[in-house]
Amino acid sequence: MGIKEQIKSVLREAEIYRTQGLFNEAMVKFKYASELIEKNVKPENGRHLIDGITKKIELLKQTISKYNDPEKPPEMPVEIQNLIKAKFSFSTDKESAALDGAIALTKFGQFERAIKEFKELLKMESFRLVAAKNILRCYFASSTSSVDGAVSQYKEWLALGLFTPGQLEKIKVFLENLLKEKGVEIKLPAVKEEKAVVKEEVTAKSAPAKAMPATKPLIETPESGKEEDDFLDVSSVGIVLEAGGKKHSEITLDVSFQSGNMVCLIVPVREKLLIESMKAGLRLNNVQFYSPIAILNGSGVVAAFTKISSGPKMGNYSLDLKMFTN
Amino acid sequence: MAIFNLKNREIECKIVYYGPGRSGKTTNLEYIFKTYKKQVTDQMVTIDTEGDRTLFFDFLPMGLGKIKGCDVKVQLYTVPGQVQYSSTRKLVLKGADGIVFVADSFTIRREKNMLSLKDLDQNLKECGLNIFKVPLILQYNKRDVGGSIPIMSIEMMQNDLNKQLKVPSFPASALTGEGVGATLKECMKLTLVHLQKEFKWAQ
Repeated sequence: MGIKEQIKSVLREAEIYRTQGLFNEAMVKFKYASELIEKNVKPENGRHLIDGITKKIELLKQTISKYNDPEKPPEMPVEIQNLIKAKFSFSTDKESAALDGAIALTKFGQFERAIKEFKELLKMESFRLVAAKNILRCYFASSTSSVDGAVSQYKEWLALGLFTPGQLEKIKVFLENLLKEKGVEIKLPAVKEEKAVVKEEVTAKSAPAKAMPATKPLIETPESGKEEDDFLDVSSVGIVLEAGGKKHSEITLDVSFQSGNMVCLIVPVREKLLIESMKAGLRLNNVQFYSPIAILNGSGVVAAFTKISSGPKMGNYSLDLKMFTN
Repeated sequence: MAIFNLKNREIECKIVYYGPGRSGKTTNLEYIFKTYKKQVTDQMVTIDTEGDRTLFFDFLPMGLGKIKGCDVKVQLYTVPGQVQYSSTRKLVLKGADGIVFVADSFTIRREKNMLSLKDLDQNLKECGLNIFKVPLILQYNKRDVGGSIPIMSIEMMQNDLNKQLKVPSFPASALTGEGVGATLKECMKLTLVHLQKEFKWAQ
């Protein structure tokens, strides 16, 4: 095949890849064609060809960058949201299925609708805290809602008295962490214990809510006889210290590896209080599991706790934690 | 996971079309929707971006009628093939009873096919399923393109993708429909046989 034919063939190939949506492959071929022209065609003849190819490459770069950095998913019509809710709820009992549905909506970026669904779940005691945290997370993730929306929501909950003081405190800490992540400095109003307790009683009387299987896990764990691997992807884990001077404070650790309901966490050597209290078999009763789209409350059992003796993390500790959600 | 209604003798199963981005999963479903009108029970739902890339999933419900006295319903899904939609793929794959892996015959997509099959294996594991046990069909798509585009031979694709799995495979062109029906039928057959072992629905 002569060079002219070869260039034509490469350009044809590039064009087909482009029309097939294989943009990276098209770009590689266009670049190759450009090189062939530069090497083999006289500049006065090849210049306009190279210019044309360069324009195509530029357009492809823009398209690739658009696809690599997709905008937040658009809010879908109600019918599609209903389909998502119906088809991605896998639990057999109605209430857990409702939570599945709300989480699925979040996963598919349908934050406005997910907030509505999570608000319905607030009526159920056993899902209340998880639903509240997910609502706040949705506010932060949604393009139309905002940080202000999340803060207003928190203030509304403070006044409403739907939550126990302990739950409100957890929500406050959670919201503070979200704000911190976002680099926003807002002082949140503190939880007023008495008011919250009184209001909770009133709410309990006025809203007898549907009975909930209180101990039903949100995500099945091996203990409940379900699949071991059926667990959300967890990006970080918050462990609330249960004793010592910093009792109740939360230490957040990044997940270095996850397999089903087992996560491997790196504990920096500076977390002395945590390190001192860790040992294999220890049950941690207050643990938060952070996935990119949902936060789950739960507990964990330390499967292994060892000092890292080599590599870049040497001196830190490796903590294998078995996760259980409430 | 299939839903089996013993009282009404009704079984509903889920088949997921998996594969690398732009391999032709949505085109498969579009062809099925156009061609098997009698079996299609509702509109096909497609959620894509402006560039026709599947954003969430495609959904196509079908009714196969009575088989061995049981009303068989099948829901077809596609996953988004682009690498960045990993969590969506996992979610769509959950509860799958049968899988069609749509591989791209373009030589240039050889590695992407293998990576996507590896991704399927990993995601199945995370769903508690075993790629060697789940009803699985391979489809070698875009056999019609050829011409100036180098495409892999069936032998090469079998060697790359099916050497260990040894599952049924079909050459296809989702655009013209060649091999699309055969792929689906074989997947349904394997799936129903598999479910029979589990539910004994045909008794």
